[in-house]
Amino acid sequence: MNTNARTARLVLRARRALACYAVLLVPLALLAVFVYLPVVWAFSKSLFEFEIGGESTFIGLSNYIEFLAADPTTYVGLVNMLIFTGAAVAIRLTVPLIVAKLIVSLQGERWRHVYRVVFLLPVVVSGVAVLLIWSGLIYSQNGLLNEFLRVCGMERWCRTWLGDPSTAMAAVIFIGFPWVGGFEVLIYYAGLSAIPDSVNEAAALEGCTGLRKFLLIDVPMVISQLKLMLVLTIIAGIQGFQNLLIITRGGPGYATFVPGLQMYYNAFSYQRFGYACAIGVILFLLIFGLTVINMKYFKSSEELQAAA
Amino acid sequence: MSMGRVMRHGCVALTALAGVWLLLPPRTTAHTPAARTATHTNARLTLRVMPGPLYAPGITPGGVGTPNRAFADVCAAYERLHPGVAISIEPSLGAVREYLVTQLSAGKAPDIVMVNVEDVWADVHKGWYVPLDEYLTQPNPYCAPGQPGSTQWWDQFKYQAISRAKTAPDGKMYCITYDMVETGIFYNKDIFRAVGVEVPQTWDEFETTMTNLRAAGYTPLQMLATLYVDWAVDLFLDQLYYSILPGIDLVQDPVREPYLQGYLDYDEICFLFDRGFFTRRDPRYRELWQTIRRFRQFANKDIVCEDMLRAFVNQRAAMLWSASPPCYRLDADPELGFEWGVFYLPRFTTNTSRFASDVEMCVIGGAGVQYEVTSSAYADTGDPATSPRLAQTIDFLRFLTAPENYAKIVNEHPLMIPNIVGVPVLPLMEPFAEILQRRYTTTKWCYTFDLQFLDVISRTLPLYLDDHMTLDELLWWQERNLTAARRRFARRKHIDFAPLQRRWDELASVRATMAGLPAAEQP
Repeated sequence: MNTNARTARLVLRARRALACYAVLLVPLALLAVFVYLPVVWAFSKSLFEFEIGGESTFIGLSNYIEFLAADPTTYVGLVNMLIFTGAAVAIRLTVPLIVAKLIVSLQGERWRHVYRVVFLLPVVVSGVAVLLIWSGLIYSQNGLLNEFLRVCGMERWCRTWLGDPSTAMAAVIFIGFPWVGGFEVLIYYAGLSAIPDSVNEAAALEGCTGLRKFLLIDVPMVISQLKLMLVLTIIAGIQGFQNLLIITRGGPGYATFVPGLQMYYNAFSYQRFGYACAIGVILFLLIFGLTVINMKYFKSSEELQAAA
Repeated sequence: MSMGRVMRHGCVALTALAGVWLLLPPRTTAHTPAARTATHTNARLTLRVMPGPLYAPGITPGGVGTPNRAFADVCAAYERLHPGVAISIEPSLGAVREYLVTQLSAGKAPDIVMVNVEDVWADVHKGWYVPLDEYLTQPNPYCAPGQPGSTQWWDQFKYQAISRAKTAPDGKMYCITYDMVETGIFYNKDIFRAVGVEVPQTWDEFETTMTNLRAAGYTPLQMLATLYVDWAVDLFLDQLYYSILPGIDLVQDPVREPYLQGYLDYDEICFLFDRGFFTRRDPRYRELWQTIRRFRQFANKDIVCEDMLRAFVNQRAAMLWSASPPCYRLDADPELGFEWGVFYLPRFTTNTSRFASDVEMCVIGGAGVQYEVTSSAYADTGDPATSPRLAQTIDFLRFLTAPENYAKIVNEHPLMIPNIVGVPVLPLMEPFAEILQRRYTTTKWCYTFDLQFLDVISRTLPLYLDDHMTLDELLWWQERNLTAARRRFARRKHIDFAPLQRRWDELASVRATMAGLPAAEQP
């Protein structure tokens, strides 16, 4: 009797498990077809001189060697990418966190709600529209920035901000200023709100307040959120090129050129799909490596608490 | 829900609807491509044609006068003549190259496209375009007996050498050179008179003229960055290299030579590059960029974004280097308020450069609108020899070149120079037709290789021109660019350098008499 009951339970569990696997199979198959297979395909094509509509010739690692050793745009692109990513990390890990802390510090829940909405609202504006507003209305020859400088009698500072190689990169980084209208504020807000009252009270009793509390208590307590933002920002910084394609196309010259753009141009303008695939694979390896380092060496709040 | 709330929501909804209604676009006219396509949905065969921005129905050239309608009228005439055939006019796109590549690779491109044939050459080995040689030697049925074209289509084309020079490096002709275009310097005669300067006869005089105009407070010349990359490089390179062509022109193509005398193709450029030409060791090459830099100082401050025509029309700029289309805009402007003319760039002298060939400035225009037939035109059978669709496409192209149809399209507005025998040149186009009689350039430098090559030049040269890059930095980029392009082309095109080497050896004695060759080649 016992044996039968155990067998029946096992069969039931197996059927439940099978049902779960069967349900999972569909998204897994879709993931394989639309994500993993293209990755494998891209890697295989990176070993070919592959031109759309043309013949495909096996050339081994030549595309990789060309990218790393021969293409004059590679290193300027990599340096730009590092600067853009570094700037994005510095911005997204500080400014929204400070704003989130200020919102959390507000006394009334009503005002906290209002500020949360105000800071989240810009998310609904199309990113392309934001870029066009900045490039057309703010940075252009007769844009707000130049007009402001003219009014202030600083006409000699006027320039086409995105068209001047000495200012283009800074102008791109500055887009979105004051960099607080996004999900980052909400993510940090959630982390700060989750800090137990007991911790805050203990800090108050110890006289740990203001900036000292922010640096010694709040920041370590939202390290998981910071880690998430770091990974997402690095991935976006290395992969991203869409914004630059829209506003500068990597110019003037190569002032805002990044490897992602190099990949796009090779694929869709120069028709060098094999080479573009090689660039994509290298970027993938770079992101993968940095993510592994991040996961391994940057500890989350929970890990820090456990270690303590 | 309370009544007041319903009223409030209703008012908001009505206001939003009224706003949408006010913002609705006006009805399309009968001549827009969309309207034409919609009226021929029952056709047995629909040919898709991309006429290009100059002749596209509904476009108003220069923003003045009436919109184009001739192309649509000719299409309608063809449809009446061939019941069951419809012509769908496809819109022209800005990034036509990317559009075409994706459409061609998918077999969904328009049957007839307008694209510079040099861009086509890069893709001909993929079978995306139909060689037209066979059809060009057949009669055009729309030409009256005894008229040019009635025995072979080729005879209809007025500028034979230019049209035939569009033969691809593989020896086949992939385009119909529909019309001609040339560039010239538009100048403000009133400003010239006020400043006391004349139309220059040499480059030195040209520089003096521009110096005087600048001293008088005018911007001497309106130029765009793209024109430095394209036109200025070609003209200046010709002026500096023409005298040594007998020693370095390694391939004489019998078909293209009558017009492209001494033209340097990509294989020759690659070969010469390996021997130090077009590198920092080549003094002419250094001189080329330095001369362009000197020329740039006379032009408008912003060469990337500025509206070129505006400063000329407002009389802030005294000259404008442009192709022929602005003629129409200037002529049609009743409030222009000044007299204008056109002259061509003068030649370099030995004062300009010690390498000056002292020959008249060549031209860089020539073929304007070029129509190609894509592989989509024989998608019905997959074989050009048996495809009724391709036959109909060719027939339509011939109809477009019948003199009466052609004159309607090309001379609808004075924008381009006709390339069909018997079609008159409009008076505004005559100066450009005269300029077109000149010799063609030694090479179209930025179009020698592929888009990647062009992209690097387009990005780096403006930086050098505006002092964001030194000459040595520019030369570093150009050398790396040429090295990469040479490697790509040697791999893709399987260039055979042996015949060029033989010719190079034969010409050694000619080069021995020449000065200023790259260091390794000095006698």
